[in-house]
Amino acid sequence: MPVLLLAAAIVWVFVFFLPGDPARLIAGGASADPGVLESIRQEWGLDRPAPVQFFHYLGKLVRFDLGTSYVQRRPVAAIIADHFPPTFILAVAAVLLAAGGGLILGSLAALYRGRLVDSLVLGLALLGTSLPVFWLGLILMLLFASGLEWLPVLGYGMDGAFLPFTSIRLPEWDHLVLPAVTLSLVSMGAIARITRASLIEAGTAEFLQTARAKGASRARVFARHTLQNALIPVVTVIGLDFAGLLGGAVATEYVFSWPGLGKTIVRAIGLRDLPVVEGGVLFLTAIFVLVSLAVDLAYLYLDPRVHYTHVG
Amino acid sequence: MQKRSVLVLAFLAPAILPGLACGRSRPPAAPAEQVFRFRLHEDPPTVDPALASDQFSEAVILNVNRGLVELDPQTLEVRPAVAASWTISPDGRTYTFQLRDGAVFHNGRKVAADDVGYSFMRLLKQETNSPRRFLLEPIEGAREFTDGKSASIDGLLTPDERTVVLRLTKPFAPFLSQLTMANAAILPREVYDDPQKAYLRAPSGCGPFRFSRWEQANFIELVAFDGYYGGRPALDRVVIRMIENATSALQEYLAGGLDSLDETPEETDAAMQARLGGEIHRYPFIGTGYIGFNMALAPFKGNAALRQALNYAVDKEYLWGVLLPGNQPANGIIPPGIPGHDPALPGYPHDEAKARSLMARAGYPAGKGLQPIALWVNTGEDNRKIAEQVQSDLKKIGVTIIVREVDWAAYISGVSGTQDKPGQAQMFRFGWYLDYPDADAILRPLLHSSNWGPAGNFGRYRNAEVDALIDAALDTADAERRADLYRRAERIAVMEDPPWIFLSYYQSKTLYKPYVKGVVLSPLGEFRLPLERLKIERGAT
Repeated sequence: MPVLLLAAAIVWVFVFFLPGDPARLIAGGASADPGVLESIRQEWGLDRPAPVQFFHYLGKLVRFDLGTSYVQRRPVAAIIADHFPPTFILAVAAVLLAAGGGLILGSLAALYRGRLVDSLVLGLALLGTSLPVFWLGLILMLLFASGLEWLPVLGYGMDGAFLPFTSIRLPEWDHLVLPAVTLSLVSMGAIARITRASLIEAGTAEFLQTARAKGASRARVFARHTLQNALIPVVTVIGLDFAGLLGGAVATEYVFSWPGLGKTIVRAIGLRDLPVVEGGVLFLTAIFVLVSLAVDLAYLYLDPRVHYTHVG
Repeated sequence: MQKRSVLVLAFLAPAILPGLACGRSRPPAAPAEQVFRFRLHEDPPTVDPALASDQFSEAVILNVNRGLVELDPQTLEVRPAVAASWTISPDGRTYTFQLRDGAVFHNGRKVAADDVGYSFMRLLKQETNSPRRFLLEPIEGAREFTDGKSASIDGLLTPDERTVVLRLTKPFAPFLSQLTMANAAILPREVYDDPQKAYLRAPSGCGPFRFSRWEQANFIELVAFDGYYGGRPALDRVVIRMIENATSALQEYLAGGLDSLDETPEETDAAMQARLGGEIHRYPFIGTGYIGFNMALAPFKGNAALRQALNYAVDKEYLWGVLLPGNQPANGIIPPGIPGHDPALPGYPHDEAKARSLMARAGYPAGKGLQPIALWVNTGEDNRKIAEQVQSDLKKIGVTIIVREVDWAAYISGVSGTQDKPGQAQMFRFGWYLDYPDADAILRPLLHSSNWGPAGNFGRYRNAEVDALIDAALDTADAERRADLYRRAERIAVMEDPPWIFLSYYQSKTLYKPYVKGVVLSPLGEFRLPLERLKIERGAT
């Protein structure tokens, strides 16, 4: 909670000092009637002194009210509810691909350490991490959508099914492939490298000799002892990647016209739709905190030595 | 907050995983269905006619809604819409509209004179905060109504079901043109009085298309309205897709996901130009691009010779011929196609020698004594190119330009300043497209001293002669005399006391698939395409 309050305050201050006048944009931008401008400032409370505006904002926040968009004139919570599901779906798909691909590639590299496979994996990992995602997305689009016509070029689709009992519309799944693959390639490299490094490190640990001496098979040693011990840093990387992806993969959303939250917040900055910026960033902070917490809890299962005890 | 996100997480996880594996393909559309799909960069900020002040919003509203009158997209003449006919009294003050019989709202109710009254009062009401209430301010009593001094509008009368009378305070020649704007749409009270404001997401009117669905950052869908007074449109559906990135949008057009695109491939891309040849359309758009001078600040304040020198120094032929092919070099303010446009106006053809001698006359021979000047542009690749070219052209006559590139919101504040304080920008790249095809729609907002400052005259231009001519044209009913008054005002502003560097008259560049029939290449731009006239004829290509 203190993290969130601090985040709320920081975001508010940043947003408040952005150059440009939101009332001005609502009033028509290029030419604005001074009378209309004045009454818009009153309508949204923009004419009040900064501390009053800040405490008003905090007051609403503790009542879980994120305010109303200046531009869309509907609750910020409704806007987040519209745009978070696409972001979440894309992040889950990307992280599953990245984790799957990264674990397999990393394990292969560790198993064949120093051989061709190892060098190939390391090379690909380096490439994946260093290619700009914007460029990568366009190349994949040109190749698989424009060229081979296997997949749609962009978009979320218009006819996806609704999630039962909600107004959340799922994407048409073929539309999900390219953005998810684009995003996953970036994290896959990092996951492959950390998997390889941890496996190699765990593989040389003394407890493995003990296990082998007790008569365990090679496969059992790998699955039960090596992999489990190697997974802790891998899970950390995957978790942080997932949290980062939930923060909105703006470049990917932009290239593939994915209606996610990241792009929505960036557009809101451009429009000086301040409540959407504040609410959106705060929401993402909360998500980040939650995912980090989930990663910490995952350690409990992976490493019996880790205990969380209440101190003080 | 936290509670909410946990809920979403828990909800989604089981549903997505199996879905990912099985995939799902779209059922093919019935072959006979007529669908037209075009692209907007982003969602329209609003679909409420009273709040709209941009092209994207108008692109939706003008298809869902109708006003008393509308513009012919080709000839730009005012023609009947909900009003079947009208008369104007000899003194030019009283407009009497006869509504047509067949106009019906999307909910099935007939459009009546009262609806016009309701819609106009809604636009003028203080609480509506409409950026365009000035459109109806010529009506007698409109200001008193907005200020809350009167509960009704004296000059707005509805003597019977089918008649609307508007009485103006004084003659106002562009009034009828102003009524063609999206903001003057006629709205059903039962929808727009909703305290929940559902109309913000689901607008309604009496236009050719009904609003069907809106998924933010994804698409808007409109469907044909069977009861449209002009007859049901040939198109069954219109899909407006939000695609920000131009490269991606072009790929989507090529793949067949769009039938039209407001963006054409780079001129230098010969292969693409050849491939799309017949689908690329270029046509004039009623707008003018310029670089404004801030005349409240040094060095431009009171120094017309300096402003003329800068005009001669910029090579517009190179700018629009080589650097950014497309637009037409401008010699003045009023773009072609608008009454008052003056093809004989000399303007400022590129002439470095003349520029140098004017610099000397301005008191800065070869730029000596002139401090570096800040030129503001809003973020964008074309703007950057223009700014850099202007910078290098002006360097040649000894003027140092510092380019400041900022986003639109910061730009508007920096350029317009406040009522009492001029903006920081000494020069600013700007463009203006006319809200309605009348010279008043560019001269008055940008150069009349009554719009000084944030109201539109950012450069704080004040020229008594120009003011007087713009005012005189407003009271003149005779079209030829009006055009002449505007030509005189423009000549003074351009040749004697230039407020800008005159850069370009705009052009639209649009792609249309060959199977889209009924396209009108309108000077009002691609977003004002009358969709009710379109037809898809795939067999014909």
